[in-house]
Amino acid sequence: MIKQGLVLTCTKCSTKNFLDPYPFWNFSGNTKCAGCDTLYAVTFVKGQQVSGPTVSSGKADLLPGYAEDKNGAGITGEGKIRPAPQSRPDPFTGQQKQVTKSLRGKPLSGSRLKKEDLVGSRAKFIADLHKV
Amino acid sequence: MATAPDFETYCQQLFDHKTAAGKPEVLKGYRVLSCTQYILGPSCASYLAELGAEVIKIEAPRRGEPMRHTTPFNEPLLYPLSRWVPEAGTGLGFFGANPNEEFVSLDFHRPEARQAMLELAAKSDVMVQNYRPGTFDRWGIGYQHMSKVNPRLVYQWLGGFGGWGPGRVRASYDILGQAMGGAFGITGEAADRGGTPAKHTIWLADYWGGMMAATTILAALYWRDTVSGEGTFIEYSQVHGVTRMLESALPLYGRYGIRRERWGNWDTELCVHGIIQCGKSSYPDSKNPQEAEVGYILVSAHTDEDFKKLCDVIGKKDLATTYAKHDERVKAENQGPIYDALEVWAKDKTKEDVAKLLDKAGINNQPVWNAKEVSEHPHWKLRGAVQWIDDPTYGDLHHQGPAFKMSETPPRIKWALKPVGADNERVYGRLLGWTKEKLAKMEEAEVI
Amino acid sequence: MASEPFPKHKVLSWPAVPIPTPDEVYAGMTDQAKEYPLSLEAQLRQSENFKKPECLTRVRVLDVSKGMIIGNWCSSMLSELGADTIKCEPPAGDPLRWQTPFGRKEYMFKDAETGEPIGLHFLHEMRNKQSITLDLEKPEGRELLKKLVVHFDVLIENYPPGQFDEWGIGYRQLKEINPRLVYAWVGQKGQWGPSKDKPGNLDPTAQAACGFVHGTGLPKEFGGRPTRSAMWMADHVGGTATAMGILAALIYRDKVSGKGQFVEGTAAEGVIRILDYNWAWYGFDGSIRPRYGNWDLAINIYAVNPCKDGYFMVGGGHDRLWYRIWRTVGQTRADLEDEILDDKSLRMVVARLPHLKQVKTYTVLADWQKDFSRADAMRELLAQQVASGGVNYIDEVAEDPHFKYRGHVDQFEDRLYGKVLYGTTPFLAHKAPGRLKWIGRPLGYDNEEIYLKLLGLGPGDVAGLKKRGVV
Repeated sequence: MIKQGLVLTCTKCSTKNFLDPYPFWNFSGNTKCAGCDTLYAVTFVKGQQVSGPTVSSGKADLLPGYAEDKNGAGITGEGKIRPAPQSRPDPFTGQQKQVTKSLRGKPLSGSRLKKEDLVGSRAKFIADLHKV
Repeated sequence: MATAPDFETYCQQLFDHKTAAGKPEVLKGYRVLSCTQYILGPSCASYLAELGAEVIKIEAPRRGEPMRHTTPFNEPLLYPLSRWVPEAGTGLGFFGANPNEEFVSLDFHRPEARQAMLELAAKSDVMVQNYRPGTFDRWGIGYQHMSKVNPRLVYQWLGGFGGWGPGRVRASYDILGQAMGGAFGITGEAADRGGTPAKHTIWLADYWGGMMAATTILAALYWRDTVSGEGTFIEYSQVHGVTRMLESALPLYGRYGIRRERWGNWDTELCVHGIIQCGKSSYPDSKNPQEAEVGYILVSAHTDEDFKKLCDVIGKKDLATTYAKHDERVKAENQGPIYDALEVWAKDKTKEDVAKLLDKAGINNQPVWNAKEVSEHPHWKLRGAVQWIDDPTYGDLHHQGPAFKMSETPPRIKWALKPVGADNERVYGRLLGWTKEKLAKMEEAEVI
Repeated sequence: MASEPFPKHKVLSWPAVPIPTPDEVYAGMTDQAKEYPLSLEAQLRQSENFKKPECLTRVRVLDVSKGMIIGNWCSSMLSELGADTIKCEPPAGDPLRWQTPFGRKEYMFKDAETGEPIGLHFLHEMRNKQSITLDLEKPEGRELLKKLVVHFDVLIENYPPGQFDEWGIGYRQLKEINPRLVYAWVGQKGQWGPSKDKPGNLDPTAQAACGFVHGTGLPKEFGGRPTRSAMWMADHVGGTATAMGILAALIYRDKVSGKGQFVEGTAAEGVIRILDYNWAWYGFDGSIRPRYGNWDLAINIYAVNPCKDGYFMVGGGHDRLWYRIWRTVGQTRADLEDEILDDKSLRMVVARLPHLKQVKTYTVLADWQKDFSRADAMRELLAQQVASGGVNYIDEVAEDPHFKYRGHVDQFEDRLYGKVLYGTTPFLAHKAPGRLKWIGRPLGYDNEEIYLKLLGLGPGDVAGLKKRGVV
């Protein structure tokens, strides 16, 4: 059974496609299952699904914002879901970045420390910079 | 006597942020206690710190306040969070709201904390706190208690809805203040152009709310020190502040029942005075989507004379005749065709191309700059609006400058932030006379 | 100007719904629980304001800015706090005075004495100010200004960079005449530097030049574009910042130096100061902060999403609230609650931050919200103490019971302009609060009073000035 609403579960591969609210709130056209590329015609008015999802043909007008396969693993990638906003060429990982230098190449305390790396409340390598 | 420098050179010398350290500070000798979290409260205290007040930021022991754990997509962090938790970092959410402050830790739930707070209050000028209304009173460190030990204390409470009235128990955030206060609903592209209401991207209601509260604190200190000798209690509700900002919307509604709606990137009062899309990216080869995106520019030609020039530039002399008068141009139904014509003209241009053509014609404009363009712009660098600082704890940081300039007693950025409890020894030792043994005991008991 | 009758519109009755009484607000509470809010009310109620002194009662401010709201806003901050504030306009008036949305003259108000129309944007920021006129283009006008500033503590101007200096009434010259003067220049990008202000630069110039516009609005990936604030927001921020600078300068003058100084405030730098981590993030690894629409890069849940009758905000960055939100959702949509709670990858607070997790979270939340009006959703979530609320439209702001009760919005019966609904000063205080004394004045209304009081000019002298076009 297809779940009605903004979470579209594919009849063929059970992928859950997340039709995110801003682009899909008022939308009429084709979207595409990120799991198996099946096209679905859907119409949303004020977030309510007023028609579809019915299997359709042609091309996708709008891709899902995100999708998960039936085991809950994320499906990403070009042509599958819409790209995420980014601040750099490389995508956001959600992992803590580890840096020791600023953009202009000077020392910056931007990576994990251990107790023994500290002098008082600051990193030893920063404290050393300020030693006369 | 040498001839006086031209005005611009004079100003540049007068306001040069590099000379700030050699000038006195306005709030030297004023002590501020900041028991604040998130942005609204901390930013309020930080504006005072930029003016030279000794701001003591008091946080929960070890892990500090929640904003330290807030950073975009959990990626950039500055280490350590505290000497007790070196493996964790402070998120950039904390940044910009806590410069120049001293950082101590204190667990307000402990009975020892109350005594320490009252002793600190006795020798402070300002107290800023943003806990839920009544919480500090329950803990015995509210205005009623602190004003007894120090009648000169200016006690500022800040928060979402205020401590009284039907909504007093509601929690609030910046975004809720914007939403309920009315600024959110009128910002953004109009519905018939496919738009939605839009949040002001900064935590505007927080950061600017803090500025409003700091303004009142300064006024209260001025009143205390030049007139009355008395402190006071001040309450700032952030949603109240947002409503104060609504310009003509309330009087218009109040008399005629007309509800102000969204008008996107154009202006309700002036035309042409709006932001248009330029069809070409300024950096088509960049791998960064923020740069690869097409450009935008503000075009401002609302006087009849400028509008005529603009029509010449875009080769649309017919518009100049049809909309020769501002009263015609600015009509709601006429703005669309004018801006649409501008976007058609700008379709094959970058924002720089457009700026160049408009500059040549003497028409005001402003490209929409992104964070990198602002950071690298010589104008902002020269003025110290953004500046690299040599932070004693974290190293090479890129920081915003103060919000305004003063010739004799400039506000300034000395350091960006410090780890939780970094100044425990200095502050408790100097102000409360705690011995080394007492400090160790308090630390072990996690009171600090 | 010919006197015309008030427009034939009926003044909307406000409030449409009566303001709640304290008994209604605190109904069902024990006397002990009521004690704290009632004691706060007693200290802060705006109806008590006129029994109390004003902070800036000894300060006199001359605002000669025009055409740009930053100066008016800055002087409003001071006039609300009690400064004796005089708005000095060109004889033709501050252009803002005549501006009205979409050019609709019928939106303007008229005063009962002269019948002169006034734009509402200008009126809202004319509070507690008197109006005089003075033509600074004329040498005689500039000479008068020099005589006037002797009597002032603060001067606020926003003329093109260097204009006042060239005219001999800049900071360098006026400080010789009145060394105690705090001289404030306000503008968009500054009076010095390679990209300094050009004549006619107005907000949103500053909004575009500081990174604010680039960062506001939906991301391209959601179909959005950079978006300006509906308001001249950068002017408000810059104006408040400048007011801070002016107050700091007054403190320093009166406590330490005895001398005034030069304050410069720009709309753009006010906003750059508060663009939180944009600059730090860029310096950290070159990141250019992207637009993220009505969601937040650093907190999940913290967003506005559409709902049945508009747009609705839900906030809950940490676990306690996260589970309360999903429990609330689960009351009507167990499938949606399970969707989130069954997802092991959403257990940790920080693990919910990556963009795709936010897409999932808000798609699921929006599927619940779509069946709820703002009021219904708010009732459900507030029962669980979750910060939440609808995006209010202006009529709803004007009628919100909390705002009415506390007087965030109020109707003022002005001697000249009649009943005016307005946003009150948020400066609430126990001892010396801000307040509204009058809403505005017609152009040059106070010429005779001020020129007589400060310069000793009699009615005949002022008539002569008027004849020569100086005032």
